[in-house]
Amino acid sequence: MRDVAIIGVGMTKFGRLEGKDLMDLLAEASLNAMKDANVENKEIDAVYVGNMLSAAINHQTAIASSLVDRISIFPAAADKVENGPASGGSAVKNGFLAVASGVYDLVLVVGGEKMTSADTDVLTDYIATMTHPTAEYVHGITLPALAAMLMRIYMQRYGVTERHIAMVAVKNHKNGMKNPYAHIHREITIEGAMQSVMISDPLRLYYTCPISDGAAAVILCPADKAEEYRDKPVKIIGVGQATDVQCVHEREDPAVLKSCRIAAEKAYKMAGITPKDIDVAEVHDAFEILELVESEDVGLFEKGKAHLAVEKGVTEIDGEMPINPSGGLKARGHPVGATGVAQIVELVWQLRGEAGERQIKKDAKRALACNFGGFGNNTVIHILEAMWK
Amino acid sequence: MSKEQVVEKDFMVYRCKSCGRKFYPKHDRCPYCKATEFEEVKAGDTCTLITYTKLYVLPEGIEMPPLTLGIVDFGEGIRALGQIMTDDPKIGMKLKPVWGFLRKIGGEDYYGFKFKPIEE
Repeated sequence: MRDVAIIGVGMTKFGRLEGKDLMDLLAEASLNAMKDANVENKEIDAVYVGNMLSAAINHQTAIASSLVDRISIFPAAADKVENGPASGGSAVKNGFLAVASGVYDLVLVVGGEKMTSADTDVLTDYIATMTHPTAEYVHGITLPALAAMLMRIYMQRYGVTERHIAMVAVKNHKNGMKNPYAHIHREITIEGAMQSVMISDPLRLYYTCPISDGAAAVILCPADKAEEYRDKPVKIIGVGQATDVQCVHEREDPAVLKSCRIAAEKAYKMAGITPKDIDVAEVHDAFEILELVESEDVGLFEKGKAHLAVEKGVTEIDGEMPINPSGGLKARGHPVGATGVAQIVELVWQLRGEAGERQIKKDAKRALACNFGGFGNNTVIHILEAMWK
Repeated sequence: MSKEQVVEKDFMVYRCKSCGRKFYPKHDRCPYCKATEFEEVKAGDTCTLITYTKLYVLPEGIEMPPLTLGIVDFGEGIRALGQIMTDDPKIGMKLKPVWGFLRKIGGEDYYGFKFKPIEE
């Protein structure tokens, strides 16, 4: 297996992007990444497009072929990768495997979603179709309802209060203020968050990510060729993906994200490192409770202790273990298929020292991205390492 | 059957003929021992609420917020998710499975199990 490097990253702004359709977003992010990698005049062997909902809400299928047409990278091999909210992470993983195997030398991975043109109730329903059709969906379950039930069981077991959940949201909004690509640029207070509209008790509006448009892209090549394209290449040193039973009620422990644990273990094993070697992480906080649970289940904090790290400021940009310096899904936004790629784009910028006002204070060498699909039944983890450090 | 009415009905789960463990919903191979032969058995008359939510932003086909949803535990490793027929749910409360109207999907009525508090 060959080592694989990320030599270019790019994204669109996330948000309610009037006048731009799905293809506009995918093309813009792709061209930004190609420019960053200095491969505009090179032949791209393959493209993987992470997207969940094009058929359902954009009336568009086979979008990987359409993207090739838009950006004229013929005759590149082109596939769409759909894995719910982990579509982006799965697309990067497929690109990684293709380069690692030796089949392709230059691969574009782009994730994107155009969501704001659909009605919220229609969108919520499409997303709910990820759940088990007869044992979950039919009962009226939505993703916020599953997050709310996890939040209640987790808070009761570990003595976590609603205030802690609000603190995660406040931290992510603060980070998002410094991210020009973020959907939400608004500072919020703990009190304001705790008085926001109830979506699914105890889950409030401010503990939930927004509905966003956007795309993000990376360019991959064999690590030993990376410096031929540009300086500061970032190596993908670990990839892990794992699944769990679909129904939340059937999980061994409904307060634990087992797929997250196993995916992380696999990624650490491939990388030959432990959680202590990670300097910064982007985790999938579609709901703020997930930032706590995932950061524990990927091994960054002891189970039931992540809220104490939040209290002490450990997860802030200037803390010892910055989490979601981008603002996370909460503030950067969550164009579903883009998220897993955008996490990696942010971490590459952080490792290169190019994250502007939100640049973490510590000198980071290794970073972890956790992209979470379904309601935790399919998790993709990537571990990155700065090759020049 | 009217939409408000519920009837008592046994909640059936799957028992693996090889390892004897029970599960719900159906898998085509046993999640524990991978065997492929099962029998349907009754889960038990009562269950306990282990977590819940009151959902205010409802999916299409359900009209009256809030909708109380929860996860119940029948013991023996069997849990289920469903609508909880009370506006005042409490963790640890005892419930019984009943059969009734759940929601509309694509204009069509769907019926199934939900969970009703046992009067004490």
